[in-house]
Amino acid sequence: MPIFNFLRPKNGKKQKVILLGSGALSIGQAGEFDYSGSQAVKALCEEGLEVIIINPNIASVQTNHGKNKKVYLYPVTPFWVEKIIKIERPAAIISGFGGQTALNCVIALEKSGVLKKHNVKVLGTQINALELSEDRELFAEKMRSIGVPTAKSYAVSTTKDALEMAEKIGYPVITRSAYALGGLGSGLAKTHGELLALTSSALMSCPQVLIEKSLHGWKEIEYEVMRDKSGNTITICNMENLDPMGIHTGDSIVVAPCQTINNTENNMLRDTALKIAGAVGIVGECNVQYALNPHDYSFYVIEINARLSRSSALASKATGYPIAYIAAKVVIGFDLLELKNPVTLTTSAFYEPSLDYVTLKVPRWDLTKFSGVSKKLGTQMKSVGEVMAIGRNFCEALQKAFRMVGENDLGILSPVFERVSDPELANELSSPTNLRLFAVYESFRRGKTLKWVYDKTKIDYWFLEHIFTLAGGENELYDFFKGKARSFKKLSKEILLEYKSKGFSDFQLANIFLDYPKDNARIRKTALEIRKFRTSLGVVPYVKQIDTTSSEYPTKSNYLYLSYDAVSHDVSANKNKPVITLGSGSYRIGSSCEFDWCSVMASSYFKNNGTGSVIINCNPETVSTDYSASDRLYFEELSTERVLDIVEIENPKGVVCSMGGQNPNNLIPDLSAAGVKILGHSAKSVQDAEDREKFSSLLDSLGIDQPLWTSARNRAEINAFVKKVGFPVLIRPSFVLSGTLMNVATDEENLNYYLSLVKDISSDCPVVISQFILDAKEIECDGVAKNGEVIASFVSEHIENAGVHSGDATLVFPAQKIYAHTYNTVKDITRKIAKGLNLNGPFNIQFIAKENDVKVIECNARASRSFPFVSKVAGLNLAELASKVINGENVKKVSLDESEIPFTGVKASQFSFTRLDGADPVTGVEMASTGEVGCLGKTFNHAMLLAMEATQIKKPLKGILLSTGREKEKIKFMDAAKEVFSMGIPVYATKGSSEYLAKHGYIPQTLHWHRNPTALDAIKNGNIDFVININKNLTIEELTNNSQIRKTAVKCACSLFTNLEKTMAYLKAYSSYDELENIEDCIYF
Amino acid sequence: MNKKRFFKTHRKAILKLSNGQSFKGRLIGADTSVSGEMVFNTGMLGYTEAMTDPSYLGQILVFSFCLIGNYGIPAFQDGDFFMSLGHESAGIKTQGIIVSDIFDGAYHHDGTQKLEDWMCSQNVPGITGIDTRKLVQIIRESGTLFGKIVPEGNPKETPDKFEFLSNFKKDEYVNPSKSLLLPSVSVKKPQVISKGRKKIAVVDCGVKWNILRMLSDRNCAVELVPWDWDFSKINADAWLISNGPGDPKNTADLSDRVKKYIITQNKPILGICLGHQILSLAAGAKTIKLNHGHRSHNQPVFSLPDKRAFMTSQNHRYAVERSSIPKDFRLWFENANDGSVEGIRHKTKPFLSVQFHPEASSGPNDTAWIMDEFINSI
Repeated sequence: MPIFNFLRPKNGKKQKVILLGSGALSIGQAGEFDYSGSQAVKALCEEGLEVIIINPNIASVQTNHGKNKKVYLYPVTPFWVEKIIKIERPAAIISGFGGQTALNCVIALEKSGVLKKHNVKVLGTQINALELSEDRELFAEKMRSIGVPTAKSYAVSTTKDALEMAEKIGYPVITRSAYALGGLGSGLAKTHGELLALTSSALMSCPQVLIEKSLHGWKEIEYEVMRDKSGNTITICNMENLDPMGIHTGDSIVVAPCQTINNTENNMLRDTALKIAGAVGIVGECNVQYALNPHDYSFYVIEINARLSRSSALASKATGYPIAYIAAKVVIGFDLLELKNPVTLTTSAFYEPSLDYVTLKVPRWDLTKFSGVSKKLGTQMKSVGEVMAIGRNFCEALQKAFRMVGENDLGILSPVFERVSDPELANELSSPTNLRLFAVYESFRRGKTLKWVYDKTKIDYWFLEHIFTLAGGENELYDFFKGKARSFKKLSKEILLEYKSKGFSDFQLANIFLDYPKDNARIRKTALEIRKFRTSLGVVPYVKQIDTTSSEYPTKSNYLYLSYDAVSHDVSANKNKPVITLGSGSYRIGSSCEFDWCSVMASSYFKNNGTGSVIINCNPETVSTDYSASDRLYFEELSTERVLDIVEIENPKGVVCSMGGQNPNNLIPDLSAAGVKILGHSAKSVQDAEDREKFSSLLDSLGIDQPLWTSARNRAEINAFVKKVGFPVLIRPSFVLSGTLMNVATDEENLNYYLSLVKDISSDCPVVISQFILDAKEIECDGVAKNGEVIASFVSEHIENAGVHSGDATLVFPAQKIYAHTYNTVKDITRKIAKGLNLNGPFNIQFIAKENDVKVIECNARASRSFPFVSKVAGLNLAELASKVINGENVKKVSLDESEIPFTGVKASQFSFTRLDGADPVTGVEMASTGEVGCLGKTFNHAMLLAMEATQIKKPLKGILLSTGREKEKIKFMDAAKEVFSMGIPVYATKGSSEYLAKHGYIPQTLHWHRNPTALDAIKNGNIDFVININKNLTIEELTNNSQIRKTAVKCACSLFTNLEKTMAYLKAYSSYDELENIEDCIYF
Repeated sequence: MNKKRFFKTHRKAILKLSNGQSFKGRLIGADTSVSGEMVFNTGMLGYTEAMTDPSYLGQILVFSFCLIGNYGIPAFQDGDFFMSLGHESAGIKTQGIIVSDIFDGAYHHDGTQKLEDWMCSQNVPGITGIDTRKLVQIIRESGTLFGKIVPEGNPKETPDKFEFLSNFKKDEYVNPSKSLLLPSVSVKKPQVISKGRKKIAVVDCGVKWNILRMLSDRNCAVELVPWDWDFSKINADAWLISNGPGDPKNTADLSDRVKKYIITQNKPILGICLGHQILSLAAGAKTIKLNHGHRSHNQPVFSLPDKRAFMTSQNHRYAVERSSIPKDFRLWFENANDGSVEGIRHKTKPFLSVQFHPEASSGPNDTAWIMDEFINSI
């Protein structure tokens, strides 16, 4: 029996294993752990174990209800894990699938003796090995002992030592902090001054910083390693960063397998990886990162991660080898030789996949969403998501990837640097930002040489040569059209095939042909004509399988991609008409794992009920791109062209665009116009909901109230509107996604400033201006309708008043504080809108309510961000229900009384400001959070405290700083003053707040802005660990005034509140902390 | 602006297969027509090593990985096997190659010549722009398949590169296993390769240079012995029977002579790949033909009885039949995918024999320890 003795059923009872999750998605720790965790659950349940999941990420697939599985939505902290250990009495705990969070937690539990006390075994890599891999000095020493070179580096704990060491090593140096994910506190320092700044900030949040020799310009290469308890070791995949050393691997463009290294280098690094895994004592998975000298065979080991990681998720998707699934089997006792390769089902899992294609990962940044943040890339990760593209040649993969990742159909051809001068372009190349590759492309478009670009970027010539080819191809085609060819029909089949094979989309070809017009509709029309023309010539893509063996063995793999470097399909068309579900694409601010959850629910439903399920998605961090989530997975672009290609191959019943968020929703008009059957809501319903004019007149005709608004085409129209409704007003440019450039203007000056940010105001791109209602409550209704009838709907409320983006707000479900009348009005309006739009699928409606006055803000005719949250709290899966409706099944109206739900759920947002140097950590109408948690409590207070703890709001232990806003807020805050002053720790306040409190009998210590003692010093010195900083109003001046306090608070890892309502809810709940912590049972499902 | 970089200017070429199918692509390398047995390798790196591996003699090699030529070709130091890392013999041994996409550059610090230029200089053709995945599937399903690279127009007539090719008519598909291949790849007379403490005689059936490098690195005096030499005249501390091309049964009297003159010496012997098959035949085992053989860097094998697993590099079509393993030998290694015999060893004597390549190059070095075990047994 391969599984360990102590995990086998005892007296007929299954043994329990705790699996720690990673919590909310944040920069550096995102969806990859939902994927690895869900694979682990599957692998463990198959072996007769009961899996206890601790993870507050309610929007993840791993926290779904399930057989042989219990889900605890609790913070992954030693306190709560110990509590659950006491309740569940598990045989073992697994930390390797929950990122750094889980790893740190299990190390702490071991150190405090909790695991020993409760006889809980750690599965997989043991604690001493984990510590070895985490402690950079111990690791370096171990490497020395086995003869593996590491870069000269020294651990320091003071800035003075740091400067001394840097002197020894020689500048430039790199700093890294221990026990941190995503390169927090890391950076490159070329001078004493830079190093001082870096280390002093890093040492505030961690005790140890490493100073290393800078390997700028070296290749960065990674190996994914799997090792079983008997020491059998394989490397699943190697990966190479297109960006040389110096840019965090999470922010790097990554190609798998490695392309620019030869056999000798590969095996030198592979041998070393095996050696390291053995020496450290890995059981399960780890990755090894190297810096490789581009000029000779020397290299250094940078670090290892003794757990599943972003890279392992990527490697799984790049190779088809389900690393997390196999790793889970390995940690419960299997040897690799005892397992089969799940893709072939016949060959051994002791296997290193062979690829016959190339994959490219491109990160997605949303840096424009954070004011003040630097766009420069370095050793600190900033990206919020990623895509992976698969091609049979590098150009094909690169082209796909850059279309997948952006919101621009032109991909790498986007004229980002069109108007930039050569010196500026050169600067962009040598000092990289998130847009660097566009600059590389632009350089070649201008005819710059490979060497010109190489000298500035140090990007390997191999990569540059391909980009050079693409840009040359674009120029050449442009000349072709400019010269003799007035019609694209002059293109020969051969030439067309050449361009398609190099990844050019019909849209890109049309754009070149039409001489780069601004009119997207015209390009799209021509693109469809080109499509028709090339199809008639037989220039079409073919379906290829990802099978881990490069076809050496026949497989039934359902993991597919499309390529033009092919002459035949690997799979034949489906006999049954399947349903195609479109996934959500790259995670980004505003579209994260909640939409993947919805997509997975839909695709699994269509798979399990026998309809036949096809999914299209391109995000390697997701569960939906796990090939077991559907009958066929197309790891492909979410574009009109590609969806049409797949529709032509699969001949489906129809396409579902309503489960993957706004990304697939945007494809409806084009797909529908091309004759594709859209399942669920009709294209017209979606159009009517999305088009402001149409939706607004619908509301008017239904007698439903809405905030006053207008669509202004010029400044005069804006002024006229403002004159009518008065300030504040909400400005929203056309085509917004999660509030880009959305702002609230409170006065004339403000308005001018914000309008200046919106570059283009015209009849084509109008600006929507609406009345902004202050002190109003925001309410959401999530539901499912069938043929205009509401089948189920759930009402949740925001804790924050209107003005905080719904994606950043704290949600409560069932709603606790809304009047019965308001609740009934919301339900009533929902029915009317569903009827009016003839909704037929999932939807979300947002309301604002003041007193009992309810207005509708918007309606999304698609699944929403809060679907998993309300579904899991209510115990009714809205996404599955929606899938049934979409599939045309008969469904009964759900009669579920929200007031009878036995607990309260609070969904809170996770911000990643710690990683975004310079960003002002404040919430507003523009969304800024990167993830979320949802916690359950017997009371609202319990759920609130848990949700805050799960989003890193720690109990104040050292001191509290108050800065409580305007008079109005100051008055309101007095309700909670008693709470604050009875916590038994020092209370500090800024001058105004201090005076106000004093008047009411509370005496805080006053801190000043410029005069000692200053607020900033108190935070930096560690006297304060909890900061309440309420904005006075939404003026730019006020927002920037306090931003230094907020930024410093974030930097020093303080808990930070900036919203009054949220603060009040927390402080009022605070008195329940003891009760919550002393409770004997925890809520699970 | 750099024009004419994008549209391919290569001439067209056709790959004709013996089953009647054909593939259109573009000619790379030499402008000449060749024929050979179609084989594929799924290793993602190591095209230089593969193309110079004498075991590929008479074969047209299909690379399943889609991008070939990425890191150029390392410099060749004439006659100096030790300095010419990456080269496994002097010159290309494959008849031709088939790739999906060839890289037109050479930017690696240890690969200063373009793949295509190298092929031209060695008079070896190839085709790019082929759906190699489809081709691999056809080869996999066909069992034995032959092919011909036919450039458009009138390709140059070139003299036969190897002796065995004279056995085939101009329009005939070259089937290398029909011929005796060893004379085409073996040295003609004994050759001392290195000096050292222990003397190893290497029976050259088309030895890969990395075997020689590993032996000399381990302080061995290596002497290459022609495959048809009188072994009784060679005085050595141990014998290594090398890898090589073709069917082990089509090696004239080699296995008989190994039985008579080498096994009887009772000195340590190591057989690698073809050498393993020859040694097994000499010891009384039988060999069989596998459907499409193993040609990759990821063949999982495990040792018996301790079940340690290793990733190995392989390149063979024939294997030792399990039921025929002689009584005084035992199964040493088994393939974890298909259960085929990957190695046998004598129960009492220092005779080691492995189907895979402990010398790797290209491929993983997991089984390099076998060289140590062999040398330590002397």
